[in-house]
Amino acid sequence: MAARGHVQDPNDRRLRPIYDYLDNGNNKMAIQQADKLLKKHKDLHCAKVLKAIGLQRTGKQDEAYALAQEVAALEPTDDNSLQALTILYREMHRPELVTKLYEAAVKKVPNSEEYHSHLFMAYARVGEYKKMQQSISAQDENLSKTMFLPLAERMVEKMVKEDKIEAEAEVELYYMILERLEKYQEALDVVRGKLGEKLTSELQSRENKCMAMYKKLCRWPECNALSRRLLLKNSDDWQFYITYFDSVFQLIDESWAPPLEEEQSLEGEVHYSIEQAVKFIEERITEESKSARPLRGPYLAKLELIRRLRCRGCNDEYKLGDPEELMFQYFKKFGDKPCCFTDLKVFVDLLPSSQYTKFISQLLEVIPLSATAESEVALPADIKALQQHLCVVQLTRLLGIYHAMDKKEKLTAVRELMLRYRHGLEFGKTCLKTELQFSDYYCLLAVHLLLDLWLEEGEETAVWQCLTFLEEGLSHSPSNAQFKLLLIRIYCRLGAFEPVAELYSSLDAKHIQHDTIGYLLTRYAESLGHYAAASQSCNFALRFFHSNQKDTSEYIIQAYKYGAFEKIPEFIAFRNRLNSSLHFAQVRTERMLLDLLLEANISTSLEESIKSMSLSPEEDDIPWKDLRDNRDLTVLFNWDPKDRDISEEHRKLSLEEETMWLRIRSLTLRLVSGLPTLSHTIQPKNSEETAENGVSSKIDTIRSLLQQLEAAVDSGKKFLEQKIQYPVLGPPPTRMAGFFSNGSCQCQTSLFYLVSDIYELDTNGLEDSAEIQERIGNSFKSLIERLTDLFNKCKGDLIEVRDGTLKTQPNLLENLVFFVETISITLWVSSYCDSVLRPFKSNLQKKKKKKKESSVAMPPVFTHFLDYVTELQTLTSNVIDHIKGLEIILTALKLEELSLKDTLLLQEEKKFTKTVQGKVQSSYHHSVQEIGELLKKRLDTIKKLKI
Amino acid sequence: MTSLRAFTCDDLFRFNNINLDPLTETYGIPFYLQYLAHWPEYFIVAEAPGGELMGYIMGKAEGSVAREEWHGHVTALSVAPEFRRLGLAAKLMELLEEISEKKGGFFVDLFVRVSNQVAVNMYKQLGYSVYRTVLEYYSASNGEPDEDAYDMRKALSRDMEKKSIIPLPHPVRPEDIE
Repeated sequence: MAARGHVQDPNDRRLRPIYDYLDNGNNKMAIQQADKLLKKHKDLHCAKVLKAIGLQRTGKQDEAYALAQEVAALEPTDDNSLQALTILYREMHRPELVTKLYEAAVKKVPNSEEYHSHLFMAYARVGEYKKMQQSISAQDENLSKTMFLPLAERMVEKMVKEDKIEAEAEVELYYMILERLEKYQEALDVVRGKLGEKLTSELQSRENKCMAMYKKLCRWPECNALSRRLLLKNSDDWQFYITYFDSVFQLIDESWAPPLEEEQSLEGEVHYSIEQAVKFIEERITEESKSARPLRGPYLAKLELIRRLRCRGCNDEYKLGDPEELMFQYFKKFGDKPCCFTDLKVFVDLLPSSQYTKFISQLLEVIPLSATAESEVALPADIKALQQHLCVVQLTRLLGIYHAMDKKEKLTAVRELMLRYRHGLEFGKTCLKTELQFSDYYCLLAVHLLLDLWLEEGEETAVWQCLTFLEEGLSHSPSNAQFKLLLIRIYCRLGAFEPVAELYSSLDAKHIQHDTIGYLLTRYAESLGHYAAASQSCNFALRFFHSNQKDTSEYIIQAYKYGAFEKIPEFIAFRNRLNSSLHFAQVRTERMLLDLLLEANISTSLEESIKSMSLSPEEDDIPWKDLRDNRDLTVLFNWDPKDRDISEEHRKLSLEEETMWLRIRSLTLRLVSGLPTLSHTIQPKNSEETAENGVSSKIDTIRSLLQQLEAAVDSGKKFLEQKIQYPVLGPPPTRMAGFFSNGSCQCQTSLFYLVSDIYELDTNGLEDSAEIQERIGNSFKSLIERLTDLFNKCKGDLIEVRDGTLKTQPNLLENLVFFVETISITLWVSSYCDSVLRPFKSNLQKKKKKKKESSVAMPPVFTHFLDYVTELQTLTSNVIDHIKGLEIILTALKLEELSLKDTLLLQEEKKFTKTVQGKVQSSYHHSVQEIGELLKKRLDTIKKLKI
Repeated sequence: MTSLRAFTCDDLFRFNNINLDPLTETYGIPFYLQYLAHWPEYFIVAEAPGGELMGYIMGKAEGSVAREEWHGHVTALSVAPEFRRLGLAAKLMELLEEISEKKGGFFVDLFVRVSNQVAVNMYKQLGYSVYRTVLEYYSASNGEPDEDAYDMRKALSRDMEKKSIIPLPHPVRPEDIE
């Protein structure tokens, strides 16, 4: 429904705002807009359907259904209504209604091929829903190789013999079948033969397919000759340099020699010696100097060749030149292009580290900079010079020269970079809001230096300067995504989520970006107590993932229809990649935990909440083995040297950590979802035996889950022993470390052990259970102690002014959030206790009345429980008081009075510093408020526990 | 210095540095899949030697042959900031035109925001001219006024008399576009 780039008819245009609202998740506005439109255009059925979609998505299923049926009864035949109804029915999980819809449409417009095909697909989809349980497994893959593909091959062969293959798509298909059957030679013959002539619509389709087959067949002479030929045509295409070099060296290693009296290869002349390769590259450079537009390819290819020769131990005997000099020449030629840095980055390891400083000064010398009257720093006079200088600054960071500086030098460098940044703004005065400023990178690089000072040298003021400079940068360059992303990361690290929501939304990230960069939000929103924002960001992501499941099948069918057969396996792989997304599994789990946290036993019972989520402790829908990490971990630029940059190893470790944490969270969720199944209340009283069996298998599930949780916790702890430090801008660490160190983990696991004990008490009865009762009593006591410890970890000032600087302790916020979560689980477990003890008590009281004796002793477990509940209440009240205290401090804290120690700050900077400090303060306030409100609601539920 | 190749679904996970630009729209998955399913040859991505995605073009072929309206259409063209000023957009446009030539199109067309002067000038340099103005083509959802579009065209060799690019005297409404 999204992305209606083109408008076809007036109604389409009228409806568009509604589509937009729906796409953006603004269902209320969509409904309003639809109502508005319906007042003017009563017969615009589609508006009704769109309204119904809005209703459906806001939980008003019945109204939505009624409205949809109103339109469906009219048997609409306009595209808009049909498509909208299809979407609605699919969201209602009623695909069978779609078939009815198109059955009616086809009856009315029997000639429409389109409706027929929709009907066909609707039928297909109903079938698909039934088949959804049977997932595609490796078996199918085998089946296709042994049966379907050979069959398909024979059919196509027959068509070829009968000269029936006409369309390009059919040739594509034939090629695909052969390729999948690993009949590469046959595939090559098809592409090179007469049929291959039909492969015209894609660029170099024939060449690309031949190349792929040559590689599969290890036909290096052909690989070489073909890439050589393609490079002669376009000497700027990097992929062909790579195959050219790969093949040359393969041929050298094989001591290949051209056959006598025959053509060298199917594709013509072959290069099989280093001398030939060197000559070929030098020729490309000579050719380049004659071309109108400078091409980077030949120069970079030369550096690539040097690298490969060095790897083979050949040192400069081929006189390709000194890499340092070549890179210097490259800089002179392309230094004013923004990509010069990215290009040279690939080859800096050719430079000896002893030459770094010299190399940088050599570059600086050729940039036309001039000193001005106002400043002692020599500045560029135009954009070209600025760009060149920026390239050198980026290289300086890449070569680790900034990292080697001491604190004072770093601060001086920051000042200079900011001066250059502000000076460079002069060149961008006419830039539009949507354009970037030419000097933006100076500001970013200054901030990176300050981040080093903050995190590596513990310089507290540096983080405020980071935020100050970035906010200043953003004010001049409001579309700069890098400024926003960096602000997001730093605010989150400081524990301030409030400004993040706005920054993120101004990035306008949507659809697939929920999967690739959504982690920036979801990692922090909940853990900083911004529950409403957390819900919202999970919802955005979930809506995307759910619609993907439905949408992709549609396009698999389309690819088939249009003959884009190669795209079919690609689409299937894409769907699987999204379905097994780590982020998807995370938001699914966290969303449910969050819902329980906010609602269970507050607005609805735990049992109902779990039922409405269709949760069951036995079920695990996370594809653990296939989890895909789709996060874009390089979305933030950095210019760090290789040893500080995000590595493959970091990615691997981060995925491992995320998976472990997800396992702990998912097991916690499943354990909680098992609580209501243990209660007697939902078991039929009479059929005692069956009920007994049912519940006892439930407790087995819980015990087994608890064991799994213990194992997950153990491996998590082992993982953390490695003390992995991800790069600052790399993957954010999970909440796991905090979970272990603040004691929440111990509390939560001991709670589930308590569940097991209480179950035992329930089945054994009160008599002869003194030992269990004592155990339970002890558990209650130690629980209170542990919770008190956890509370102690929340104490302290979130923000305070010390020695003229502002200090923050964001971990206190994370601990508070963990406290609230742990207390919630405590209360769910406690209410299970309550449900077990209550019937015992009323039985005892009945006995008492019958015997008219006062000597029936109260079993100790009742007293233990009552004491425990009282203490729980006191503790929770204390935490609430503490939170109130924090709120008062945050409100009273007057940051304006904070005399900023750094008197070097410019007036302009002071203004931005005030703003960012205010934002952090306000965000903390917001966190504390949301946490406090939730805890108050939890306190109310304790009062119901007094048996 | 670039590797030019067909855009694939996996590129969607890596195109953030191109798409986090205010004038580049990130569409829903169906939109990309539709183009990949229907016109895969018109969806080309450029990759840098270090593996970064530099930019991409997405287009389609449409229109009636009988009415001499069969043409190539540029749906999206975007280059990441650090890879600008290399002529990459021009290269991608050239490829799209080449494909459209092969398909026997009469012209190539595209829509661009009237305010996007940088792009308008670039297209002019590449031989495109304004064929008509489409009023309020770009709808703004945040209360700002809708923006007009230029429909810009360049004739291909099949349109020998360049009939397809003779400018219309009056602007049109979005609903009047074929």
